[in-house]
Amino acid sequence: MNIVVNGQETNITDGLTISELLVEENVKMPQMVSVELNGQILKRSEFDQTVLKDDDKVEFLYFMGGGNGAD
Amino acid sequence: MKPDTIAVHGGFTGDGVSGAAAVPVYQTVSYAHKTAQELADVFAGKTPGYIYTRIANPTTTALEVRLAELEDGIACIATSSGMAAVTSAVMGLLRAGDRIVAATGIFGGTVSLFETTLKRFGIETTFVDVADTRNFQEALTEKTKLVFVETIGNPRMDVPDIPAIAELAHKANIPLVVDNTVTTPVLFRPSRFGADIVVHSTSKFINGHGTAIGGAIIDTGNYDWRKGAFDDIRQLSGRVGQLAFLVHLRNLIYRDLGGCPAPMNSFLMLQGLESLPVRMLRHCENARRLAQFLQAHPKVSWVNYPALADNRFHARVSELFAGYGGGLLTFGLGGRREVFKFIDSLRLAKNMANLGDAKTLVIHPASTIFHEFSADEQRGMGVTEEMVRVSVGIEDFEDIRADFERAIDKSL
Repeated sequence: MNIVVNGQETNITDGLTISELLVEENVKMPQMVSVELNGQILKRSEFDQTVLKDDDKVEFLYFMGGGNGAD
Repeated sequence: MKPDTIAVHGGFTGDGVSGAAAVPVYQTVSYAHKTAQELADVFAGKTPGYIYTRIANPTTTALEVRLAELEDGIACIATSSGMAAVTSAVMGLLRAGDRIVAATGIFGGTVSLFETTLKRFGIETTFVDVADTRNFQEALTEKTKLVFVETIGNPRMDVPDIPAIAELAHKANIPLVVDNTVTTPVLFRPSRFGADIVVHSTSKFINGHGTAIGGAIIDTGNYDWRKGAFDDIRQLSGRVGQLAFLVHLRNLIYRDLGGCPAPMNSFLMLQGLESLPVRMLRHCENARRLAQFLQAHPKVSWVNYPALADNRFHARVSELFAGYGGGLLTFGLGGRREVFKFIDSLRLAKNMANLGDAKTLVIHPASTIFHEFSADEQRGMGVTEEMVRVSVGIEDFEDIRADFERAIDKSL
């Protein structure tokens, strides 16, 4: 099954949940990642129940700063 | 996971190194990266990583994830205090010329921020009584950019109709900010009732032991920043979607104001959260019993506890908080002289400016928290000379009752 992860066409195992995708894609710092599915940020309680479908668009977003202002 | 389980396990599954079962305290200012390129990528936001504890810290991240989950929100920023949470959230949204509509009965510190400090920066607030929701509608103008309420105003103990206020805020395309400090997600999840941003003073029930100051801002995901009334956040949402408000805070307002929590304090909040569901129900049970005891006492002139059957907000408490009234109550006793005598005669309850502690706390609001306001202003905020505020602790109820009974007898 093909989905788009962070803008890249990606082949994944059929029927994966978001939690399983985080493992399969070896996502960095999975505790801290926010997941956007087709434009909607998922709540963490939805990670286990949300099953991915063909052509889904997934963005992994980190919410830890960056940009200017650190000393 | 159910909320009581999230309170214990949320935000942490191990440090991946030692097997530590408690969240480690990352007592560090900054974070070393292996290569110059890696740190450059973290700064550019291309790769996840920590930079500097004023912006983010792993102990604090665990707290933020746990609080976001408990509040059924999309993400959270923890702050150095409840006031830092309110200040960051409000300054992240508003500019000079914008207006706030806020409930009259909110915490005195927030009133001071809105009425005095923010006024210096050109932001003005209209305060309205929550008893009639139409007051909010009437106060909205084209310049209003947010509505602010507390779940139970303190010390008025008034309860706003949050679903109705959320509806009218959304019709005006502005967010509703709800301070959930005194109810906590154990009694009430504002996200389920239309709130857009939830703020907390975590120093209170969440910490639960009076050992650390802290706060939090949670985005519930209900407000669509992509269509919102805030140009800079709308623009940012093109890149980060619904996280835009909190990214805007993390990368600008929160970062610049510097209201980050100490890592040790984040640890203490995480520890407090673990027992919060158990403690909160005990606070409510003891408060209800104390309210009933005081109501039946001939020397007590009045009792204000929203879960009492004859309280004017009883129906809202039943609808919103499953009938729980929280751990705070106020009551009237003679005048200032009698209240002082009562407080001086207590042996168990502590006389101090805090609430939400495991210990029972009392205070005379008129001469302390609200001392800088005039008598007229105090009356508007529901503060009177004969008022005692009680934050009912989790001690054995009979010991609390005996302490109050003895001190009331000595006061009159």
